[in-house]
Amino acid sequence: MIVTGEITEIVGRPSSGRTSLLVACLSDVTRRSAIAALVDAEQTFDPVGATRAGVDLQRLLWVRCGGRRDVALRVADLLVRCPGFALVALDLGERPPRIPLTLAFRLRLTVRRTGTALLILAGRRIAGSGAGLAVLTVRNRLEWSGPAAVPTRLARVGTAVRVVRCRGGLPAIVSPDETWWWTA
Amino acid sequence: MVDGVSPVTRVACVWVPYFVAAAAERCEPALAERPLVVVRGAPPIARVVEANAAARESGAAPGMTETEARARCPELARRPFCEERVASAQHALLEEALAVSPRVEDAAPGLVYVETGGLHRLIGDDMAIGERLVRRARTVGLAAHVGIAGSRTVARVAARTARARVVVVPAGSEQAALAEAPLTVLDLPPEMDGTLARWGVRTLGALARLPRAGLAERLGPAGVRAHDLALGRDPDPFRPWVPPPFWEEAQELDWEIDDLGALATVLGRVLERLTARLAAAHVWADALDVRLQLTVGRHERTIALAQPTRDSRALGTLLGVELAARPPAASVTAVAVSARVVRVPPGQGRLGQPSPPCPRDLAALVARLTALVGAGDFGSPRLVDSHRPDAFTLAPFAPPEGDDRLEEDPDPGRGGRLMRRQLRPAPPVDVVVQGERPVRVRWRDADCTVVAGAGPWRTSGEWWDADAWARDEWDLLFDDGTLCQLARDRVTGTWTMDAIYD
Repeated sequence: MIVTGEITEIVGRPSSGRTSLLVACLSDVTRRSAIAALVDAEQTFDPVGATRAGVDLQRLLWVRCGGRRDVALRVADLLVRCPGFALVALDLGERPPRIPLTLAFRLRLTVRRTGTALLILAGRRIAGSGAGLAVLTVRNRLEWSGPAAVPTRLARVGTAVRVVRCRGGLPAIVSPDETWWWTA
Repeated sequence: MVDGVSPVTRVACVWVPYFVAAAAERCEPALAERPLVVVRGAPPIARVVEANAAARESGAAPGMTETEARARCPELARRPFCEERVASAQHALLEEALAVSPRVEDAAPGLVYVETGGLHRLIGDDMAIGERLVRRARTVGLAAHVGIAGSRTVARVAARTARARVVVVPAGSEQAALAEAPLTVLDLPPEMDGTLARWGVRTLGALARLPRAGLAERLGPAGVRAHDLALGRDPDPFRPWVPPPFWEEAQELDWEIDDLGALATVLGRVLERLTARLAAAHVWADALDVRLQLTVGRHERTIALAQPTRDSRALGTLLGVELAARPPAASVTAVAVSARVVRVPPGQGRLGQPSPPCPRDLAALVARLTALVGAGDFGSPRLVDSHRPDAFTLAPFAPPEGDDRLEEDPDPGRGGRLMRRQLRPAPPVDVVVQGERPVRVRWRDADCTVVAGAGPWRTSGEWWDADAWARDEWDLLFDDGTLCQLARDRVTGTWTMDAIYD
């Protein structure tokens, strides 16, 4: 899912597994001793869960924007210009702002130059043709667990990852018929 | 073994003969082929401070006037004494010694002691260590002699008296090595030299055989010290040298330069020496300070580099562009370039993975983020040792150096941990409960019907403290597809929307 030098969008409805997919990417990057940044527009990142998911928090720069999405965009623009970040994740939440096409293309040129992967999570697509890859997450399974007939905990959630835009060939990691399981 | 010297300790003495002249030759290698004197003072009373081996063979010697030296050797090359040049050469020599051993002592210009104990496993025997020291000195343009012995005094005498580049004095044969050495190698005060000469003492062996009490009575503490030296003892403790932040190379010009092309050539040579030192210390230049001594006044510029580098050609081009834009107001008589250095983490962790940001980029990034979001809203999250939900702090972002990657994901297949989008602060919600289970939740001005759910999951903690907490957690699926976690505070009885699973 991490395409170096490209913008990747993860879109979907709430509870469809978008954030789990984004954190899995953060985990993958920090496990390789690389540096990642998360621009959190709505301040919803869960460090405890991220640690369980394998994210090395020491290698993660978390920027909280307190609901100011315009600031989040400027921070992301700043971070992709700073050489050294293998992944910059921009979590814009359910109500993402409109991104001018010029800004999207400028971001794309910047990430190509710096070799950074820019990952945008939002309720809908915003980067347009500036994105190299866009995937839609759809929840298709739900399992509960508990010792008795009445469940006490959520067990896991299944997600289908569908590619809605891809430039330059489909990444091998994305298979349309496969279910990604997220364990609670 | 010399009395009072530990048999374990081995010390190497790195000695560069005619060091002031060697420092000048280091700046202009072509001078090494010619008789050279370094003079101080203005003609006609300029006196020779130092002469290289070729000049000494021709009869020139320190202390002569320049006229006298030139009369003995007409083809003599002359360079004015430049303190910065000597200091640069000494620093270069110390840094190279430091690359071999962590304990070095700056004894005098052109004289460095290196403690070699424990290096045998790393480098080899004493001869290999000595050869490495000679090679390291040669990389910074200095031809050094190395003596290795059980004490600094013996090592120094060995380095100064032997003809070979590297001399090793085996343990136990120090007295024999010292016996025939002339007294001049100890650099004693002239008065004592004269007194000992009148006594007929010419060698260290003869001095060592004199009665110590008698020397103390006649010559005082200086006599005892000389006796210690003749016995190969070190009267002074080893003073380790710690490299100061001195990254500067200078060149004094014997002619005035008013052409930028010629100045660029000189700067290129200076930068080559500077970048060689940076490479030896594994640091990169982040900014350059250039000082030009003019016939009238000085010209100083600071050049901030876009990226840390130690490429002398790139730095030379930058300096050339800067000087072309703001040329000096008069002819240049001396140049000095100093670097502000940074350490750049070595290389990339893996193929296709960018190098970590350098400290300067990080500092600039932190400053800009502070302006954008405030100082308290970015950093690296740190977990707190508590079972309280959402317990963490935010620490300054300082990624660890090195490649201490975590263990590979044991299950690298599709999926992973289900994440929650934490709502901060958790908004209170109105909940309709039926049979002790929530069935309807009013949230975000909408009524949500619970279509599936699990719970309660009861947690509590810190009951021994004033911050005691206890809650029941519910995982609920709403009719609009939202999967969330609801919590009821068992202390206050309020319901809050904690997080949305996503």
